[in-house]
Amino acid sequence: MKKTLTAAALTVLMSSTAMAENIGVSMALFDDNFLTVLRNGIQEQADGMEGVDVQIEDAQNDVARQLDQINNFVASGVDAIIVNPVDTSATQAMTQAAEAAGVPLVYVNREPINVDTLPDSQAFVASDEAESGTLETIEICNILANMGRDPARVYILMGELSNQAAVMRTKDIDDVIAAGKCAVEIEEIDRQTANWSREQATSLMTNWLSSGEPFDAVIANNDEMAIGAIQAMKASGIAMEDVVVGGVDATQDALSAMQAGELDVTVFQNAAAQGGGALQAALQLARGEAVDQKVYIPFELVTPDNMESYMSKN
Amino acid sequence: MSDQTSQGVGGLTFDHKKRAWPNEFNVFLALILITLLFEVLGQVLPYMNGQSMLFDFNEARDGTILNMARIKIIILQVAIIGIISLGVTQVIISGGIDLSSGPLVGATAMIAMSFAQTELVNGNPNPKAVFGLWAMDLPVIVPVIVGLAFGALIGSINGFFVAFARIPPFIATLGMFLVCRGISQWWTKGQPVSFPTDSYAWIGSGMMPVVWFIGLAVVLQLIMRYTVYGKHTYAIGSNEDAARMSGINIRRHKVMVYMIASILAAFAAIVLSSKNLTAQAGMGQFYELYGIAMAVIGGVSLTGGRGSIIGTVLGAMVFGVIQSGFTFIKLDAFYQLMAMGAIIIGAVVLDQWRQQRAAARA
Repeated sequence: MKKTLTAAALTVLMSSTAMAENIGVSMALFDDNFLTVLRNGIQEQADGMEGVDVQIEDAQNDVARQLDQINNFVASGVDAIIVNPVDTSATQAMTQAAEAAGVPLVYVNREPINVDTLPDSQAFVASDEAESGTLETIEICNILANMGRDPARVYILMGELSNQAAVMRTKDIDDVIAAGKCAVEIEEIDRQTANWSREQATSLMTNWLSSGEPFDAVIANNDEMAIGAIQAMKASGIAMEDVVVGGVDATQDALSAMQAGELDVTVFQNAAAQGGGALQAALQLARGEAVDQKVYIPFELVTPDNMESYMSKN
Repeated sequence: MSDQTSQGVGGLTFDHKKRAWPNEFNVFLALILITLLFEVLGQVLPYMNGQSMLFDFNEARDGTILNMARIKIIILQVAIIGIISLGVTQVIISGGIDLSSGPLVGATAMIAMSFAQTELVNGNPNPKAVFGLWAMDLPVIVPVIVGLAFGALIGSINGFFVAFARIPPFIATLGMFLVCRGISQWWTKGQPVSFPTDSYAWIGSGMMPVVWFIGLAVVLQLIMRYTVYGKHTYAIGSNEDAARMSGINIRRHKVMVYMIASILAAFAAIVLSSKNLTAQAGMGQFYELYGIAMAVIGGVSLTGGRGSIIGTVLGAMVFGVIQSGFTFIKLDAFYQLMAMGAIIIGAVVLDQWRQQRAAARA
């Protein structure tokens, strides 16, 4: 009822130039650290702007719920919609729903399957996952080369197997090795999933350690799993300066582990900048301005040398 | 009615003599068989080079021929969900179910951890501080009490709705599942809570989760087997009407059952967040289902009245062996869940089949 009234009020205000711009945001899920930073990025940017209201909804990792939310946004007459897709292959229906209603749509963080056929009123803002795993792996290779570990034996910790970022970051590792961009020869001992989770990574790493196989590096798809592996290795009395551990995300916990000399490499994905960029694109589209259809916010390599400047970013 | 104890539970005492062969023995047998299977696979699979899962013949790293590192992780990795499954076991025995334990773990971890934070991290102020300085470096008892109290609150609400409002436990605890998931996200607006005090970190350090798991299992086994509380729980699960007629205060008892389950889940959350040195809103995902699966594999009947804590502990061990076994034989990650599911179903099918045969013989 409230939404209907708001919509009605908006229709009346349509002619006025001083009206507030309403942006509907559907996030894939709320209880994800990275997506929380992104969500806060949207919220903070909106708070700092005059006359911009955002309404953020949680799709709870449910594709159907997300589509309903988009249709609800359309019904309440928002000026533009930002979608962080639950499932990147389910975006065609969302694109059609928004286009049919004439509401601009911006996908953020996860690349929609129809990214190359988006109508003019839609855009995509993210970082290119092909960079993250690549930056991570090449840096790990360089550290291994400096330590004189050639060939180097590695374990690979993968994120959730159904997740695009996990698939891409793992592929990045394979690509770096296959393309000969790695400074040392890599012997992979095993690769398993720990579903992005620190707890599962701790258990998995301890299982690996129990086989007694010698190894030189752990390449993880994210920082939480890298920290889990570190905790398992510390519990088994392994000296952390003998092992190279890399993750992705540059979380506070990861940076603290890096300060302690445990984590060697992480990669910063600027979540807040993605959120801000998505809001910017949504507002521009709502005002009828032209927008690049693919906006890429670059990944940044974080090592002990430059970590200081990332301490307050995530 | 004047003397409740002499009337007992109306002949519904748990009669061990009536059982052909202890249920736990089958679970134990399954545990041995699965372990053997992995040992055989280690010998047979060409890429394994004849490695052994539990033994270490090449170098006695721990002074024994056992691979102690692997034996430790087998139980360590199931200890925390194991604590939850102890509580779930008595709920299932009482004829109920508790689906709220997983999200309760997430919510309790967030709440408890925010009272367990340390002021300085590597000399810098705690970047994840939830409250002001007053909540920094509190004695460890504060987060523990807060966490357990939250668990008790959730459990008593579950119990109230099941026992007094007569809502089916599946629905009541499913509702609480969503409530707790919401609380865990709302508490810090999705932000993780990290960097606990050293004393809080001790709770889940090293093999402590196993110490808590086994310790609590022993206590619960004794309670379920030898106390009025335990006997009433079995009685209610076997035949609620008969139990009511024999004078058991069913409603009060059910509230207790759900409270104990939630307190155990809350304690599991404290151990989990301590072990990981962080609390995250998504923590505990699927723990309620794994907890139930451990109990069911351990021979706890979902229709109530049958099963034991020992069975559940063995069920948890089966999980641990399978999980470590998969990593041991380097089973491709894509096949692991499928294999796990098949094993759970297979275990229950075997148990059913054995029961039917036992019933036919009797």
